[in-house]
Amino acid sequence: MAARLGSVAAHRTEWVFRALVSAHVVAIVGQPVFAGAYLTGDYDSLRWHAVGADVVTSVGYLQLIAAIVVRFRLRRSGPLVATAAVVVAETVQYFAGLDGALWLHVPLGVMTVAALVVQFVVVWRQSLVREAVDA
Amino acid sequence: MPERDHGLTRRRVLGIGGALGLVATTGLSTAAALARRPSSTGAELRSAVPLPPPFQVPLPIPAVLPPVSTDGGVDRYVITQREAEAEILPGLRTPLWTYEGVFPGPTIESRRGRPVVVTHRNELPVPTVVHLHGGRTPAASDGYPTDLVLPARHATSHTGHGMHDPRAVVTEVTRDYAFPLDQRPTLLWYHDHRMDFTAPAIWRGLAGLHVVRDDAEDALGLPSGPRELPLVIADRAFAADGGLAYPSLDPTLSERPGVQDRYFAGVLGDVILVNGAPWPVHEVDAARYRLRLLNASNARHYELEAVTDDGRRLDLVQVGADQGLLAEPVAHRALPTAPAERYDVVIDFAGTRVGDRVRLVNRLGSGRARDVMAFRVARRAVDDSRVPRVLSTDLPTWRQADAVRVRDFSFRAGRTHGGHGWLVGGLPFDPARTDVTTGLGDVEVWRLVADVHHPVHLHLVGFRVLSRGGRPPLPHDAGLKDTLSLRPGEAAEIITRFDGYRGRYLFHCHNAEHEDLGMMANIEVV
Repeated sequence: MAARLGSVAAHRTEWVFRALVSAHVVAIVGQPVFAGAYLTGDYDSLRWHAVGADVVTSVGYLQLIAAIVVRFRLRRSGPLVATAAVVVAETVQYFAGLDGALWLHVPLGVMTVAALVVQFVVVWRQSLVREAVDA
Repeated sequence: MPERDHGLTRRRVLGIGGALGLVATTGLSTAAALARRPSSTGAELRSAVPLPPPFQVPLPIPAVLPPVSTDGGVDRYVITQREAEAEILPGLRTPLWTYEGVFPGPTIESRRGRPVVVTHRNELPVPTVVHLHGGRTPAASDGYPTDLVLPARHATSHTGHGMHDPRAVVTEVTRDYAFPLDQRPTLLWYHDHRMDFTAPAIWRGLAGLHVVRDDAEDALGLPSGPRELPLVIADRAFAADGGLAYPSLDPTLSERPGVQDRYFAGVLGDVILVNGAPWPVHEVDAARYRLRLLNASNARHYELEAVTDDGRRLDLVQVGADQGLLAEPVAHRALPTAPAERYDVVIDFAGTRVGDRVRLVNRLGSGRARDVMAFRVARRAVDDSRVPRVLSTDLPTWRQADAVRVRDFSFRAGRTHGGHGWLVGGLPFDPARTDVTTGLGDVEVWRLVADVHHPVHLHLVGFRVLSRGGRPPLPHDAGLKDTLSLRPGEAAEIITRFDGYRGRYLFHCHNAEHEDLGMMANIEVV
């Protein structure tokens, strides 16, 4: 079966996905930090917030690719659905920030961080590789 | 079993997901519903009298003040500050504080480099201070907020503000303000700038125009004479007795500064006045007109658009900014203007038909505050005016590399001595503290960050906008400015050279309520 990959490959896929979710959490937590410093008048923090937005969004798209791989290699669609939702939110978030639509930017940002934290807990709490359960 | 996955049933996963989705949707919809879109800073005061329909009253043009003397190469003027009544809304008498009995005050016309001395006589019940906004003025005549002119009626009364300022120069009843006017031709405005009470004083009527011209500008061929219209746009609200409503904590404007808490972020009126008339209408030729726009509102922002009744938008071709002519014209479909900003624009009615109406509307306004004024095209006419492709070649060309220092300032709400207020760099205004010391001739880059709308104004100098939000400036940031409109969460970089005169000057937010509640700081040019 296609899903019955060698366990090494399955675990590698899972670890890549976990690493991306972890990097994503680290990157996104920096965003409110820079935003807060910026609003105290630290102008350079605006640039860091902008760089952070690029990094977060890019990691989000990498995570989306990894989630697609997880979907087909490990036959798990939960990670793909969750990642797709986060990536859509981040894309909206990016443009809301550029447009200065703070009514959307601030709450959506908080929700995106919360969603990623939940995803972080989920991917590390239990393995995505089914064989242990199914066997 | 597929339906039991890691101890969670599929039903439970869907339940948790659905609940979180519902919370997120509810949160974002609430944000969308509560948020002001477009964003605005301030609270609207509603008039207690019926408001007249728009576009009925003719547009008044503020009278030009004749000098009392032109001897010795100096134009001398005398202005009496006094209480007066005017019929602003039809059938109602409105008591005002005025310059020379009129609102807006009389216009002073001056020539570049020809000094003007204005003797102000204070017959109002409170101390006053006159500041010429945008003037390149020696510190002694710049209208520092504690340099009071004590009133004639109460010449011995206390100064009306709590802060002691050992450097204050207080005069009794009169004061001569001397303006060298060694600066680029532009539209300036004079207004009250008294410590703690600037906002209500301007609201009551203490504001007027001061034009600077020169031969080079006259030679451009821009529309002139009756086709040059000064437009002082200001919002007000009216009380049941016809007087101007304003939420002062102390209606005598002598003891306790500040406004009722609801208006902490700024006072917006529901009546839009242009040159002191509510939603006026002006008959025009089907030709080019030069509009000298001033937003003299305390807190209201406008995004002006000229629209014909059949929905066509006319371009507003900007030829000048706060500090005079642009290098080249910039065409706008809509022109944002913050309190104290000036825009010099040309509008061409040639494409309209006789009888057409062109409304000037505020895209940021709602209800009655959406309309500003209207033009009625009355006749076809010959037009020999023009808008040259090169307007000026004398704009400063400071580059970031020329700056000897870079400063960061935040403009935000915060704690002040007695409660909450508005802060610059984390501090409320203190006349005794020097916030910025700079050398005469120094070029500096300032990076400004705002929490809500803050129109930031520098006295003495003009500046250029280098960037906004880390990106290139907006089209209406062109030219030399003295007031920059920061929007919520926005930052900008500006560059300027502190030249002209040494002494103590100010920079502050020109939301007049913010200014009175602490959002002001000192510049010492040494």
